[in-house]
Amino acid sequence: MHIMEGYLPLTWCIIWFVISFIVVAFGLYQIKKIVDETPESKALLAVSGAFMFILSSLKLPSVTGSCSHPCGNGLGAALFGPAVTAVLATIVLLFQALLLAHGGLTTLGANIFSMGIVGPLAAWLVYKGLTKANISSTIAIFFAAFLGDLLTYVATSCQLALAFPGPGILMKFLTIFAVTQIPLAIGEGILTVIIWDRLKAYKPKLLDKLGALAPNEA
Amino acid sequence: MKFDMDYIAHHNVLTETNPYFKLFLTIILLIVTLALDNLFFDVVVFIIMSIVILLIAKINYKSYLKFLTIPMAFLVITCIFLLFFYGKGDVIYDTGIWGIAVTNESWHYALYTFMRVIGCLPCLGFLALTTPIAKILNCLRTLKVPKLLVEIALLMYNTIFIFLNEIDTMQKAQDTRLGYHSYWSSFKSLGALASTIFLRSLDKSETLQFALDSRGYSGELPVYEPRKKEN
Repeated sequence: MHIMEGYLPLTWCIIWFVISFIVVAFGLYQIKKIVDETPESKALLAVSGAFMFILSSLKLPSVTGSCSHPCGNGLGAALFGPAVTAVLATIVLLFQALLLAHGGLTTLGANIFSMGIVGPLAAWLVYKGLTKANISSTIAIFFAAFLGDLLTYVATSCQLALAFPGPGILMKFLTIFAVTQIPLAIGEGILTVIIWDRLKAYKPKLLDKLGALAPNEA
Repeated sequence: MKFDMDYIAHHNVLTETNPYFKLFLTIILLIVTLALDNLFFDVVVFIIMSIVILLIAKINYKSYLKFLTIPMAFLVITCIFLLFFYGKGDVIYDTGIWGIAVTNESWHYALYTFMRVIGCLPCLGFLALTTPIAKILNCLRTLKVPKLLVEIALLMYNTIFIFLNEIDTMQKAQDTRLGYHSYWSSFKSLGALASTIFLRSLDKSETLQFALDSRGYSGELPVYEPRKKEN
């Protein structure tokens, strides 16, 4: 669940907007470089963004019985890197606010920071680290997706704790948002592994071209 | 899976109203609501925007309620959480269980946050329910948001609706074959669904690129803005 419209005070809205703006601007610069080199990639980026949006509107069956949706940011980060994912997540969040009333405009900056920057960055680091250590990319993608999802919510808890400062409040927000998210994060991990296995079976060349496979599998 | 909000945005009285006006009105109202952080102002904004949405834009009250329900449910839960677990300041009401108590500060935070969201939600609703996304993106383009971002967003918006139809068909097909009858099979079906969509999306992006190329696409999508219909 993203932080909803109006939930954060104005100062924090502005702070998160400024931080996110810098990262998204860098990501955009990165995309511009890619598009200048290979103009065809713009369509690929757009369609991947749409895929992220669709993935986040699918209902994930969860162990606790409630339904939640996958973030899709782990998969995006493993395929395209964190900077590009930040830009795609920005558009996805804007669409979620306007099409599904999920998240909001004033909290867009904060949501970009948690879902578009912290989550993908963690997922990407984990994925690259594990594949470098010669661990199969299937296992690596599980941990990338798991941590990408979980850290998104840890970041959200931190943002809320900063906006409502108090003794031990961070732990309470973490319990509510992050601990309840663990089963969902495992669910997203399993789902991503299933997707990844099929991608590896059907389009190994593409994964190789994106540089997303482990060195020993390429 | 349906995007009712998109349909409503295209079919209401205010669809053709100047999108810049709607965009700026929404943003200014949101900022003012947040900046003032005043309980009465929040209520006033809520009432005025609801009147605008229901009576001027003539949006069905059921759709508007549906728009409000999900954020509201979440809002109530988080505010109750803030109210009981914030735990700083003087105790004004003690539940007597594990020291869970309402303090004056937690009451203040919960109340102000609740009212702030109440004030902001209809503003978002006003923009989301009366303005089609393509128009908002066109506004952003003329407001010097990087062209690349707007173009990717426009292509994404287009692709999302193509995917939705495919997902609907696939999910029904999986469902008729008991694809969602247990946890594990739902995971498998969902994984199959998502990866098939991804593979399809790669083909689609190729087709999209060919279609764009064959119409002389050179990195810019010129948009025709139809003049307002004269009555």
